[in-house]
Amino acid sequence: MINAVSALTGRAEAPDSAAPPSVGPDPLAIAMTVNGAARSLQVEPRMTLAEALRGPLGLTGTKIACNRGACSACTVWLDGVPICSCTVLAVEIGTRRVTTIEGLARGDALHPVQAAFIAHDALQCGFCTPGMVMSCAALVERQPDLTADDVRAAISGHYCRCGTYPHVVAATLAAARTRKE
Amino acid sequence: MASDDKPHAERFPFGIVGAGLGVVTRQLPPDEPPPLAPNADLAVIGRPVPRQNGRAKVTGATRFTVDISLPGMLHGRILRSPLAHAEIHGIDVTAAARHPGTRAVLVVARPDELTGATLRYVGAPVAAVAAVSMVAAAEALRLIRVDYQSLPFVADMDEARNATAPPVFDAASAPAGYASGFPARLNLPLDGNVRGPATDGRGDTAEGFAEADLVVEGEYRTQVQTHCCLEPHAIVADWRADGLTVYMSTQFTAGVRHELAEAFGLPLDRVRVIVDGMGGGFGSKSTLGSYGRIAVALSRQAQAPVRLVLDRQEEQMDSGNRPATWQRLRIGAKRDGSLTAISLVSYGTAGVALGAGVGNVAQALYACPNFAAAQYDVFTNASPGCAMRAPGNAPGAFGLEQAIDELAERLQLDPLTLRDHIDPSPVRREERRIGAERIGWRRRHAPGADPGPIKRGMGVAQSLWGANVQTNSACEVRVMRDGSVEVLSSVQDIGTGIGTVLAQTVAEVLGLHSEAITVRIGDTEFPAGPPSYGSRTTASITPPARAAAWRVLRPLFREAALALNAAAEDMAVRDGRILVRGDSGRSIDFRDAAARLRTDRISAVASRSDDYGGFRWRMADAAQARQDLGGVQFAAVAVDTETGVIRVERVVAVQDCGRPMNPLLIESQVQGGVLMGLSYALFEERILDRHTGRMVNPNLEQYKLAGACDTPAIDVVVLENYQANSATDAYGIAEPANIATAPAIANAVYNAIGLRLRALPMTPAAVLAALGKFPARS
Amino acid sequence: MNRFTWATARTIAEAAAAASTIVADAMTALPETAGPGDGTIVKAGGIDILDLLKENLLVPARVASLRDIPDLDAIVEEADSGCRLGAMATLAGLAAHPLLRQRYPAVTDAAGESASPQIRNLATLGGNLLQRPRCWYFRAAEYRCLRKGGGNCFAIPGENQYHAIFGNRPCAIVHPSTVATALVALGATVDLIDAEGAVRRLSLEDFFLPPERDLQRENDLRPHEILTAINLPPLPTSARMVHLRQGEKDAFDWPLADVAVLLDLSPEGICRSASIVLGAAAPVPHRAKPAENALLGKHIDESTAGAAARAALAGATPLAKNAYKTPLFEALIRRALLKAAAPIVKERG
Ligand SMILES: Cc1cc2nc3c(=O)[nH]c(=O)nc-3n(C[C@H](O)[C@H](O)[C@H](O)COP(=O)(O)OP(=O)(O)OC[C@H]3O[C@@H](n4cnc5c(N)ncnc54)[C@H](O)[C@@H]3O)c2cc1C
Ligand code: SF4
Ligand code: FES
Ligand code: FES
Repeated sequence: MINAVSALTGRAEAPDSAAPPSVGPDPLAIAMTVNGAARSLQVEPRMTLAEALRGPLGLTGTKIACNRGACSACTVWLDGVPICSCTVLAVEIGTRRVTTIEGLARGDALHPVQAAFIAHDALQCGFCTPGMVMSCAALVERQPDLTADDVRAAISGHYCRCGTYPHVVAATLAAARTRKE
Repeated sequence: MASDDKPHAERFPFGIVGAGLGVVTRQLPPDEPPPLAPNADLAVIGRPVPRQNGRAKVTGATRFTVDISLPGMLHGRILRSPLAHAEIHGIDVTAAARHPGTRAVLVVARPDELTGATLRYVGAPVAAVAAVSMVAAAEALRLIRVDYQSLPFVADMDEARNATAPPVFDAASAPAGYASGFPARLNLPLDGNVRGPATDGRGDTAEGFAEADLVVEGEYRTQVQTHCCLEPHAIVADWRADGLTVYMSTQFTAGVRHELAEAFGLPLDRVRVIVDGMGGGFGSKSTLGSYGRIAVALSRQAQAPVRLVLDRQEEQMDSGNRPATWQRLRIGAKRDGSLTAISLVSYGTAGVALGAGVGNVAQALYACPNFAAAQYDVFTNASPGCAMRAPGNAPGAFGLEQAIDELAERLQLDPLTLRDHIDPSPVRREERRIGAERIGWRRRHAPGADPGPIKRGMGVAQSLWGANVQTNSACEVRVMRDGSVEVLSSVQDIGTGIGTVLAQTVAEVLGLHSEAITVRIGDTEFPAGPPSYGSRTTASITPPARAAAWRVLRPLFREAALALNAAAEDMAVRDGRILVRGDSGRSIDFRDAAARLRTDRISAVASRSDDYGGFRWRMADAAQARQDLGGVQFAAVAVDTETGVIRVERVVAVQDCGRPMNPLLIESQVQGGVLMGLSYALFEERILDRHTGRMVNPNLEQYKLAGACDTPAIDVVVLENYQANSATDAYGIAEPANIATAPAIANAVYNAIGLRLRALPMTPAAVLAALGKFPARS
Repeated sequence: MNRFTWATARTIAEAAAAASTIVADAMTALPETAGPGDGTIVKAGGIDILDLLKENLLVPARVASLRDIPDLDAIVEEADSGCRLGAMATLAGLAAHPLLRQRYPAVTDAAGESASPQIRNLATLGGNLLQRPRCWYFRAAEYRCLRKGGGNCFAIPGENQYHAIFGNRPCAIVHPSTVATALVALGATVDLIDAEGAVRRLSLEDFFLPPERDLQRENDLRPHEILTAINLPPLPTSARMVHLRQGEKDAFDWPLADVAVLLDLSPEGICRSASIVLGAAAPVPHRAKPAENALLGKHIDESTAGAAARAALAGATPLAKNAYKTPLFEALIRRALLKAAAPIVKERG
């Protein structure tokens, strides 16, 4: 994999001995594929992916609730795999594809998990919902045959203070069924 | 259509569907819509309609306060006290002000010439900065120099009760008024850190105990629980010459507007408060709060919009919490179970605030002629508590309902039989019957009867919550000439789905689908709506919504009558049409009737009328219905007696909220209440370091919340209970559903292991200690 | 979070050359001198590093990523039928690995029960073993405790419900890694490579440092060293292993206690060797030697397992608020032994 950072900025420092070149701490331009579109933005190396999405990229659907990996509200996909976007830096995304809640529906057509969340009332205040949807949608994409325990395991890192877990499980099982049909 | 400009008698459905639903005749106040039939006869109300803003929420489109970004917006941040008790002798903000990103600096705890400013808990606001970025604000904060003088402090309630404990306040500085919990009352004595007692009573408990054949006595403790709203407390304040606009994650737009007007000396019409997406409040976002005041002051100083969002640590350390309590209960009874006396003494601490009482369950849940309560608030050097989902009654029920369970056992009565005998509520009687059947109560065995290390048990507990109403609640309904309909109120949707319920209410009146109604709420530009706390939103705002829709329908009926050559009194609505009652062949499309309107838009505003049967009490804008909201919950648990781990396997929650407006949304609310109760019972606890008074678990990792894997099967049953009180007869559910869970679990644990856990949370350590599995240490 | 520069190492040599500072040393610098120094720290998944950066507990000048070093995440079967786990393999990757699941289920169970699915998708094995402790005083910038180069431990006289019951003076952390419990029980070794390519291999058990050997570092990682792999030894087909964890919650909770056992039983069911390691018990994964000895030559049943469990806890020195861990560990050890010794349902291949 090429080093997108130094390639883009050209600010690479002369390597001391064999150490790799570095960039920052000032903002640098990086490129990122978000929801299928190539985006370029300025970030300081210390900026997390969650902050980059919500700030320069204007994708506020991704929520920050604990900012330390403890609630999964900020879940997005990296190459299709759910991760907490508050626990990675924007500079290290490189060529990996980022999918956020804004990129889940195909135009007007909701992802089956999104539709099922509405039908089963798997959301209350809705703040944990984007992350919850991303985790459940990843599960449904990966594993067509689901049990309630699979869903619970997939969302075991999510907190929902409103207590939507039972409806989230029901909705995700229903979405998996529609998906199979 | 009866003439409705004068009060007249009407017959209303009355009672519990399936358990003696009847009819009652009540005077209907003028201009109120006619009695509403039971849900079975309605088209939209009572149906499981999915929430309208669901699509926005599942696509990430909903704008929460934390998502709002205005041109030129600055970022605010608060410097907070590192010490539990300190005096500030000097504070130097020059370096912070000189930071290139700084646009405003505010000293919150301002020492005056003679005395220092006193800080009374770790996390108390000291100063604040608005800067061009979050990073700049944080950097500027670090440049503020504060000269703290540390003072002796007390963070533990038991220690604070000692006469020798360092005083948190003196008589002059102590908060004295009402507080969000109850029973904080005016003019109670303060002795050291102990304020009270607030007393309640009836009869003579000494006599009552003398008459008793049996007395149970126990001490119960509950911990501090934090609200943990997923969306942090957040505000965007935009101060301008022509007025103040505030976007705020709040449970009460209209109330915050009042607070702002008063705090900043603005007329009400110059203050606008807006909330769209609202990521949970649970009581902690009821008021403007210090952070709100700070943000507005920063915006005024900087002449620019300021966004202030608390981080998770601030959330945990200073955004409110459920106070800790200690309760001693004594209950006397006759052999047959009749209660002769209840006495309650409680001490609770809401830190530097008031309101740590244990509610009114002991007073009001059961028939007992003699009752005495003395409740004390204890000040500690800890962050201020505030209302949290069923304040008072949630901790109170943990004590009372275990005491009743214990009494039943001592009387050798089934806990349900005892309650049938002492609980006068027909609602809970029915709820007990339904719940017992669902959970399979007959299979319940004797305490500790399971042979293996994993022991199962079942328990039950009850709840009571006032049916609250905000009379200062208004709603507007508009119909446009193209037949489009809007419902407007400043009421906010904090996750309950009230917007959808309003749409249903209006749709029912107008004969439309609920999706046809545009809901515009969460903005004080609209008629003032109720707060979303005290489980009063639905009870307060659906009746005026129905009334307003009813009033706006009349001109449409007149137009339709003209078009159909019929009398306006004979008009009715169905499936998007206005028709002649009894002659459905003669009808006109709702839109065609609207097209005949004289003006582009007609509108009606209605406010919450008094309950038809009268309120129990009314004070200023708040009132309470005559009947309480009852609930009964059953829990089935498995206790691993070797590891001490309690697993809740099943909960059956049978609840009452008057007329259930939308069973889908209600089920969500009840599940949420049960889960918060379960989490309270087993996991949650704010832990303060005893040597510094600082919270050691101020995050969502070490402060433990129930997750999906801790969630039992939850059966929700909601009664349909008509009381002929308002145009919808609907009441709240969020808080009632949170009260009985912890005691039901505790009683189930007792049934499993034959030992009573009288303190929360019921951790493995607590279970193993109760089982005597390790030597107790001081 | 403070500013830092960012580098991406593409080879182990580059990474080792860059890794001038180990995190523990960066965190013991006095607060006054702590401003961005000249040190470079390395970052794997970054879960732990980011936490420390956000709390301003760590203020490095530069952060170097290991993510782009090829093949550092490989999981390979060795000729001797042992296994080599690349340090950059994620916990999710370990948990889902079919061969590991078959041969080293204690490892996959431990990995699969750590943290949350989202975290496991990023967290690496190397980072997990090298993460700093979760002691809540340690994690709060307000407390400069012994482990951060200060003069006191705040936990021992303070809030210690989740702290150690063994070897807990003068610092009472529990080692945070859940997989470490299983790996130490299996006798895993670690490979550390410096900038010149020299490899240091030592047993994981010796790699971890208890407070009496080093109060500020939990392990023997040295500046300019990269942890490249964890080697799992080949095991006889008669070996049986179990990892059990118990949290307050069923998932997404740090264990209150976790136990890994590795048994070698004769065909008659007699214990030929036993390795029993306790996690969340001590500042390092705690080898329960007395319990191991108690089992040698014995048939494993309720009574011998119970006796071994009691022996394991005999030397415990609980603090004011964590004595409950004693019975909890006893139960877990006994259950793990019985489970490991139970007739095998599915043959290991
Ligand atoms: C909410 C939450 C719950 C958690 N629960 C658990 C749990 O139950 N059990 C558990 O075990 N863990 C748990 N964790 C911890 C988590 O698993 C670790 O933080 C993670 O594994 C660290 O791995 P990483 O790759 O992200 O490490 P990084 O953060 O990248 O690095 C950690 C440390 O290792 C160093 N480092 C990393 N790789 C190398 C290398 N190859 N060579 C030299 N140095 C290196 C870094 O310099 C740094 O000091 C939890 C974390 C969170 C946030
Ligand atoms: S246990 Fe160790 S890390 Fe925690 S406060 Fe004590 S010395 Fe510091
Ligand atoms: S905000 Fe990222 S996990 Fe909580
Ligand atoms: S819906 Fe409110 S936190 Fe999940």
